[in-house]
Amino acid sequence: MAADGGKLDPMNPPLAPGTQAIEARGLKRAYGPRLALDGFSLDVPVGSVFGLLGPNGSGKSTFMAMLAAMERPRAGTLRVFGQAPTASLRAHLGTVFQEPALDPSMTALESLVLAGRLFGLSRGAATDRAQGLLSRFGLGNRARDSVSTLSGGMRRRLEVVRALLHEPDLLLLDEPATGIDPDERRLLWQSLLEGQDGRRTILLATNDLAEADAVADRVAFVRDGRVVASGTPSALKRDLGREAVRVRWATSADAEAAASSNWEGCGTVTRDGEEVLFTVEQAASFVPQLFALAPPTIRSVSIEPSSLQDAYFQHVGERVRAEATA
Amino acid sequence: MSSLPACLAIFERDVRAVVRSRSQLYSSMFTPLLLLVFLGSGVSHGLAPSRLPAGGFTSYMVAGVVVMTSLFSSTFASASYYRDRDSGMLRFMLTSPHSARTILLGKSLAGVVIGTAQALVVMALAAPFLDLGWQYGIVAGAVFIAATATVLNLLLAGFAQVLAARVQTMQGFHLVMNLALFPLLFFSGAFYPIDDLPTWLAALALANPLTYAVDALQVAAYAGDNSAFLGLWVDLPVLMAYTAAAIALASVRLPRLTWSGA
Repeated sequence: MAADGGKLDPMNPPLAPGTQAIEARGLKRAYGPRLALDGFSLDVPVGSVFGLLGPNGSGKSTFMAMLAAMERPRAGTLRVFGQAPTASLRAHLGTVFQEPALDPSMTALESLVLAGRLFGLSRGAATDRAQGLLSRFGLGNRARDSVSTLSGGMRRRLEVVRALLHEPDLLLLDEPATGIDPDERRLLWQSLLEGQDGRRTILLATNDLAEADAVADRVAFVRDGRVVASGTPSALKRDLGREAVRVRWATSADAEAAASSNWEGCGTVTRDGEEVLFTVEQAASFVPQLFALAPPTIRSVSIEPSSLQDAYFQHVGERVRAEATA
Repeated sequence: MSSLPACLAIFERDVRAVVRSRSQLYSSMFTPLLLLVFLGSGVSHGLAPSRLPAGGFTSYMVAGVVVMTSLFSSTFASASYYRDRDSGMLRFMLTSPHSARTILLGKSLAGVVIGTAQALVVMALAAPFLDLGWQYGIVAGAVFIAATATVLNLLLAGFAQVLAARVQTMQGFHLVMNLALFPLLFFSGAFYPIDDLPTWLAALALANPLTYAVDALQVAAYAGDNSAFLGLWVDLPVLMAYTAAAIALASVRLPRLTWSGA
């Protein structure tokens, strides 16, 4: 509890050297017959901006809920700053949900002061801190306005401000940029990372690969309730060690036929509708082969350096290929 | 981390929300007062009920109207649970370091205070125009009324929370509140003495918790003596027992909220 009404207790006991912000080992959780987490393991270093990438239903939100002690694993171990998640540990967490979680009848400042008091700040300390953060996030002149009058992007920024108000050690962002335009998204991240001093850990669950590539210093790909790859974005792209050839056919049947063929010098093949992504050792020798042997209804071909998206498709998109070629 | 400041913050926020919602604030009191004026006057003049223990029908009915005000108020207050759930606010509050019980306690206390205050305002507005017995004197009578209204609103808050844990939608909640509580009001002695009821309905009335709230309010304000009533020494313990049971039930099974919603 805040001794001066404005500063929460530090982590107690202090973190031992080498302690991870999050350490998950073999987490399992099922809802009826559906496995939400199936052996989920992950290490998130203290101070990192960590992207958790995966399709909807892959288990990201269930994992977030466990970190906030709103769900319990049926098996496995989970440590947040070396401790099992409990209600009291939530004092060190800030949360932004995928869906909006604001009362439209309150003003922006009232929303923040309520949140501050819930997290142990005095009314005065919460007000002072709220005004500073509102200014940083470009909402200084909207403090007294009702939430209902704020745009979608402003509301998202307000939710991020609310999550930061009590200076959490771990910030959980579940699709924070959902439904906001690119300018608002840029402003949100700019303001958020401006205060990132290396002490706070940010866990970003998203399926926006470009967003994760831009802001995260480490990422993990999640599929079917488990982490299938993790590392820095550059390492994941480098490990791919190839170029990406993106080809669009006129029909998905042609794309499927091409995706199911055996291609010399080709690594992974991922189909998404009419588009197929080939990761190849050398695009220069692969493309002539493609034009000679593939269905002739090719509409476009582009050669790109490997991106995080390619790495994602390699690890997470295999299921798409398997389903498409089954 | 202490739960009291958090509970207080939620309490303040819910009270502020009701005070800002003028329609909610006034309609809970206005409708029962209208009923008192029109139904009370109409029955007094048109039917001249001769079997009332004391005073006119309008005076008799004031206890029922106070109970009705609390019913309206608690229904409105409980709707804030659904609004908070649907807006995501409840989910956010549950990510704070406090238990669901603390959060819901803050919300329930706001409903209790508002419901009690509205009930007392209705009583204070009506009393000067009525022929009330005040057998214990006005001060002691007012204390008994305040105590009864507080316990009644605690009972209603507990009942509402039990319902909220089981009924998923606000529409369903209002339907159950209307189906369960308002019929209870009709055989609670609010509009006619339960002595006049058929035996089977009189027996049901004795199992009805609202009967004891109405009786306590009538004993405190309307009655000149206790002869035709159950009396405070029966009413308050029975009402408190019902309230304790409702609160215990409410705290056993809390509404379940998940990361992605209800």
